[in-house]
Amino acid sequence: MIIGKRHYWLLQLVGWGCFFLWHIFGAWSFDKMSIPSERLLIIQRAAGFSILGLLMTHCLRIVLLKLKVLAKKASTQIWIFLALTLLTSCVAGVVEMIVYQSLGLLSKVEILITNKSLILIFLNNSLAWFSYFIIWSAVYFIYHYVSAAQREQIDNLKLKSHIKELELKTIKTHINPHFIFNALNGIRAMVDENPQRARTAITELSNILRSSINIDKSETVPLTEELNIIKDYLALEQMRFEDRLMVQYVIEDETTSQAVPPMMLQMLVENAIKHGISHQKNGGLVKLGATLANNTLELKVENTGRLKEQQQGGGFGIRSIRERLKLMYGNNAMFNIKQSSDNTVTATLKLPVTL
Amino acid sequence: MRTIIIDDERLARSELNKMLRSFPEIDIVDEASNADEAIEKIASHQPDLIFLDIQMPGKTGFEMLTELEWVPRVIFTTAFDEYALKAFEVNALDYLLKPIDQKRLEAAIKKIATADAREQKPEETYTNNEILTENSQVFVKDGDRCWFIKLSDVRLFESVGNYAKVFFGLHKPLILKSLNALEERLDPKTFFRANRKHIINLHMVEKIEPYFNNGLLVELRGGEKIEISRRQTVKFKEKMSF
Repeated sequence: MIIGKRHYWLLQLVGWGCFFLWHIFGAWSFDKMSIPSERLLIIQRAAGFSILGLLMTHCLRIVLLKLKVLAKKASTQIWIFLALTLLTSCVAGVVEMIVYQSLGLLSKVEILITNKSLILIFLNNSLAWFSYFIIWSAVYFIYHYVSAAQREQIDNLKLKSHIKELELKTIKTHINPHFIFNALNGIRAMVDENPQRARTAITELSNILRSSINIDKSETVPLTEELNIIKDYLALEQMRFEDRLMVQYVIEDETTSQAVPPMMLQMLVENAIKHGISHQKNGGLVKLGATLANNTLELKVENTGRLKEQQQGGGFGIRSIRERLKLMYGNNAMFNIKQSSDNTVTATLKLPVTL
Repeated sequence: MRTIIIDDERLARSELNKMLRSFPEIDIVDEASNADEAIEKIASHQPDLIFLDIQMPGKTGFEMLTELEWVPRVIFTTAFDEYALKAFEVNALDYLLKPIDQKRLEAAIKKIATADAREQKPEETYTNNEILTENSQVFVKDGDRCWFIKLSDVRLFESVGNYAKVFFGLHKPLILKSLNALEERLDPKTFFRANRKHIINLHMVEKIEPYFNNGLLVELRGGEKIEISRRQTVKFKEKMSF
């Protein structure tokens, strides 16, 4: 809220210094500096004005800080600034009158007026001070207003990037708890039925959990690594769904070394099971494809089922995939999901090829 | 207790089956792998208890329950969706999280056994296949909210197009059943067709007043005022006279 103290004093001194010079310059341009007796008076008077202005505005600042005016609404601030400026001007008017009279610094014109009416000189002084102080207040107000806005902008940016980071983290580590517990339940049944299968199932589940924990460390992984997780995942789902889940892989060899965002393809496969196969009484097929063409890596996940309206526009999963692609590749990546035939949903992911 | 296990995963069914072997009071009469199969098997076996998986292909466990004419005791099983179970307003019900904890299973079964002992033998709730007695339980789902309702708690059924509005407690959800279909299934000792649009629970009648056209106006415990048509008034008087 408060300008750095040094900054404030610098501005004050420069401002009132200029004010002093402006007075001298005014006198000089009216050719009043040539008479030595008047010259001293003019310099003394100008110095007096500057010192008085500096002291009065400093008091004004103390009051502004005491009242915590800058923490208030902008519209309220303006009214308080106006009122305080007016008050300060009146005080300055009185102080000037008394001090200048007692030090004998009054100009000839002022002496004339003073003899006529004290009110008049007071009004004259205050009005002049008000016009100076209102400028001071405006500068003070605008300075704070702008710096507060800037600070807010910076905070906003910081917050945004923080949120982005968090979002990425949650997207990456997201593994459907429904899947984990169903898998564990299946494994428990397998322990009696087929102990060997139960043992491999535990390994598969460990691989999936480990990769979902480790994944934060790297922005991309080779496609083979991602496929290994998917194979483990689908093996576990096949244990649960048995003959209701068929799986087919069509992976071109040269795609396997390509870099892909971790757990993204996995998420699509998970969705294919969750929204596709698990709703089919007689089960269905999940088909995974990876091809290279025109410097683009195309990944496809097809599943039996029908696409619900809301999925197309984007449930949480789809939206997060789009956002993640945008963050990582800008406009160079593409994702879409559509009903490709009567009973097939296809999700397609196009990523730029890495060398 | 005659029991049916309903789950789409064979492994899950076999695991639960294995766990239930240590309960001599549980007699597993059948298993079902989806909602439609379950509806058939519940109708033919008339079990006392079902273990019901919520997430199944075709229909969810909730959707299946709404299609049942009457509902046995239910223990839900689910891997991870308590949020779905929060929908329940009125009845405290039991659900087990998979993989199922043996102690939790034991507690759930015990709870049902004591509830049965306290209320009435479940056998008596459906002596006749066709007629629901006032102890029968029905399942009602309206939007996101679900209830198990005992028929004796229902004051009034009101016809709304193809639907019927069920009045009980402070709620009045809609069910997809016509009033005529309901009338056929409800016990005439308890439920009475007051007019074209209403079936009332006779135990819930609080006041009876004469009305236009030689009809009657009854006030139910919830404050609803229902007109009894002239034709039905004669029957109503017969019923209430002894």
